[in-house]
Amino acid sequence: MASSISKLNRAEIPALGPERPVVWPRRFRRKLSNGLEVGLVESHTIPKFTAELFFRSGNSVAATPGLAEMAATVARTGTAHRTSRQIEEDLRRWGSDLSTGAGADTSAVAFGGLGEFSRPLLELASEMARDAAFPVEQFEREKRQKLEELKIARTTPDFLASERLRKVLFGSHPYATIAPSEAQVEGYTLDSLTSFYREHYRPSGALLVAVGDFSAEKMFADIESIFGNWTGAPPTVAAQPAPPAAQSRRVHLVHVPGSVQSEIIVGNMAITRKNPDWLRLALANNIYGGAFNSRLVMNIREQKGYTYSPRSGSHSLRQYGYFSVSAAVRNEVVAASLTEIFYELDRMRSLPVEAMELADALHYMTGVFSLGLGTQGGIAGQLATVLMNDLPDDYLETYRERVRALTSGDVMLAARKYFDSAHAQIVIAGDRAHIGEQAALFGDVETFDAQGNRI
Amino acid sequence: MSGLHVEVESRKLANGLRVVVSPERTAPLVTVGVYYNIGFRLEPHGRSGFAHLFEHMMFQGSENAGKMVHIKLVNSSGGVLNGSTHYDLTNYFETVPSNALERMLWLESDRMRALKVDDENLRNQRDVVKEEVRVNVLNQPYGGFPWLDLPPVAFRNWANAHNFYGEFADLDAATLADVREFFNTYYVPSNAVLLIIGDVEMEEAFTLAKRYFEDIPSIPTPIQADTTEPVQTEERRGTVEEKFGTLPAVAIGYRFPARRTPDWYAMSLLDHALHGGRAGRFYRRLVLEQQLAVEAAGDTGDPFDYNGPSQLVTRVIYKPEVTSEQIMAAYDAIVEDVRKKGIEADELEHVKVKFRAEYYSSLEGGHGSSFPRFGLMHYLACFTLFDNDPTLINSILDGFMKVTPAQVQAAAGKYLASSQRAIVFRLPSQKEAA
Repeated sequence: MASSISKLNRAEIPALGPERPVVWPRRFRRKLSNGLEVGLVESHTIPKFTAELFFRSGNSVAATPGLAEMAATVARTGTAHRTSRQIEEDLRRWGSDLSTGAGADTSAVAFGGLGEFSRPLLELASEMARDAAFPVEQFEREKRQKLEELKIARTTPDFLASERLRKVLFGSHPYATIAPSEAQVEGYTLDSLTSFYREHYRPSGALLVAVGDFSAEKMFADIESIFGNWTGAPPTVAAQPAPPAAQSRRVHLVHVPGSVQSEIIVGNMAITRKNPDWLRLALANNIYGGAFNSRLVMNIREQKGYTYSPRSGSHSLRQYGYFSVSAAVRNEVVAASLTEIFYELDRMRSLPVEAMELADALHYMTGVFSLGLGTQGGIAGQLATVLMNDLPDDYLETYRERVRALTSGDVMLAARKYFDSAHAQIVIAGDRAHIGEQAALFGDVETFDAQGNRI
Repeated sequence: MSGLHVEVESRKLANGLRVVVSPERTAPLVTVGVYYNIGFRLEPHGRSGFAHLFEHMMFQGSENAGKMVHIKLVNSSGGVLNGSTHYDLTNYFETVPSNALERMLWLESDRMRALKVDDENLRNQRDVVKEEVRVNVLNQPYGGFPWLDLPPVAFRNWANAHNFYGEFADLDAATLADVREFFNTYYVPSNAVLLIIGDVEMEEAFTLAKRYFEDIPSIPTPIQADTTEPVQTEERRGTVEEKFGTLPAVAIGYRFPARRTPDWYAMSLLDHALHGGRAGRFYRRLVLEQQLAVEAAGDTGDPFDYNGPSQLVTRVIYKPEVTSEQIMAAYDAIVEDVRKKGIEADELEHVKVKFRAEYYSSLEGGHGSSFPRFGLMHYLACFTLFDNDPTLINSILDGFMKVTPAQVQAAAGKYLASSQRAIVFRLPSQKEAA
């Protein structure tokens, strides 16, 4: 290459070389007659595959908070054909991993392993989705386990802050709850689990994504033969109360006695991934606090040393989205950190981004998007995002050009709409004895204990 | 059995820098790593936490790439970056679209040849590191458990036993002179390996490596610290207070055999039989069957990145109504069974399949999907620094696949003796009602 022949001038940053084309691998999509949607990609870099079976029902449609998660957890512990121990030993001898879980909007069985064992692993995943046995002793054990996990979670500052923010933003909408109370877990019954499972684990509306070292035709044939005779209409979902309208800024303090640091989260309602402004907001977020090289990180970490891990993000749930900024800071600089967080938000809202900073951010966004190409899991993640959100078929191919078309005006537009500093809610998890006075500088303060009681 | 063959070549530059290249051109991405043979164990006495603090300083500027330039240039080239400090090495790495390869080599070579930082940078990063310690250790339930709790109980040599994240007083005492001396001693070409992985031609990669790195002056390889431990003759115990969590916990660490010895292969597989997820004996017995614990997990840390004393560690978080004697009795019963009977031949075969499958995944990712081929880079670096043979990447699995049940039983008898272990309890403090 030409540059290697010339004398090295270290004062000069090497220019970027010619870009190699980013080619997303071919996706194979098919819908089985029972309504199960299948998306496959061949990727032969390692002799493995990764897959996930999604149901479009999660904790937000369950009768009790966390019930979908508990149903998924217990579904793993036994099927009509296998005990818990057989399941775990089968997974090991196939060089495989499997996990079940549920978020706000989905329940899922994720699995993967050596390509040579893909068929038996698909069969096991199918058993979990269709023939989970819900052994009562496993249910009782998982329930006790969950109670202990909740006790630990409610001593963890970032969990407590996130939990409070969701309550504040979503009010009586089910998205307000990210984890059940201990009393709610005590109230779970085997019946409530199995009825959720029967109603929501159905092929119609479900999605199976698989990426890896297989032939797509052979994989389709296996999936058809394993999942094809599964029947069931799509679940019906009741209407849910709307989240509250935006309120003026308030401070919500979760008192954690003895904290030697304070976990700050500032957040406001924003948009879902389907909103036409999604990429605009993603770009504004990258410039604000979404990348290492962002304004917030440079300010409160690299210049001021208030925190190790500041970040911002735009979060999309199926029905609503929200934007949040977080940082764990030392107790003495809670007020100073909040001042900078809001200063940087308002700067984005009022001053246009300069051309150089914009170009850097566009490069970052298009570059990191392609990192997903490097692993089977990365490809599977992108494919699942497209299919779960009903994005266009060419979403991956056109992403880079759509990003490159964004302007400084788009950033300003997104910041003014979604960096809603006047209505942003401030949550702080920390010791009120050390930070109460600083918190009060930013609005009326309501204080809660770790269990969510007002104190 | 389908396998995996990695194309890899290594050469040494005139200044002693080893260069390892592994082309893989499926995606237009390249990962660049620089690994230095310096970690926690080698930091100076009275300067606990210094190796890690120094890692932060490597992002603070070099002669031609001042503060902020490094991070900015990687991100604005469409890539991501990080660094981390381990017992025996410190690494710096970037994954970028392959058209930014030359920039990454420019950055890495500039900070290898001429780190340029000042007191203000040091003050800033000392504050950042303290918040890192608070967020990961001091303000978290079970923070630092057991990676910071076990070494002081298990080891007698300061190199192996001190607080690796650093006492705050030691962090405060660190000076710019310490930074310069550490850099001049350990961050020299002959103590490092450069890795270029992904979308690049083999020869092009070596040509570029030579162009950017070969004029960095050659400096003798630093003397490695003595990490040897006196022979342990009896079990060692300690207790640490848990300030936030509500459940008692215990960690048990057994001295692990030296890398690439027959016992090391056998014990690595036994580790998977004992700790391999829910099929592992500890989780199955303690969590699923006896229901004494809510978590029972463990490992040897990273399988390949130790070059000194290391441990096979089990972490158990147990129920409040269970006593420490009860949990240890249940634990010991599992260990004694393995010491007496070893593991079944078919169990060993299943563990080998799982081990192989996990090895492939580590090579592909190993750091989530944000750093493709992080694991490939990491293992190539370890095999180069500690074994002087990066081609082990293609042959190391053979050693594991040859292990017999008899070898596992013999190794278990020898290494799982209670005289060879350290135990640390992490017990919740008695709290006043809030």
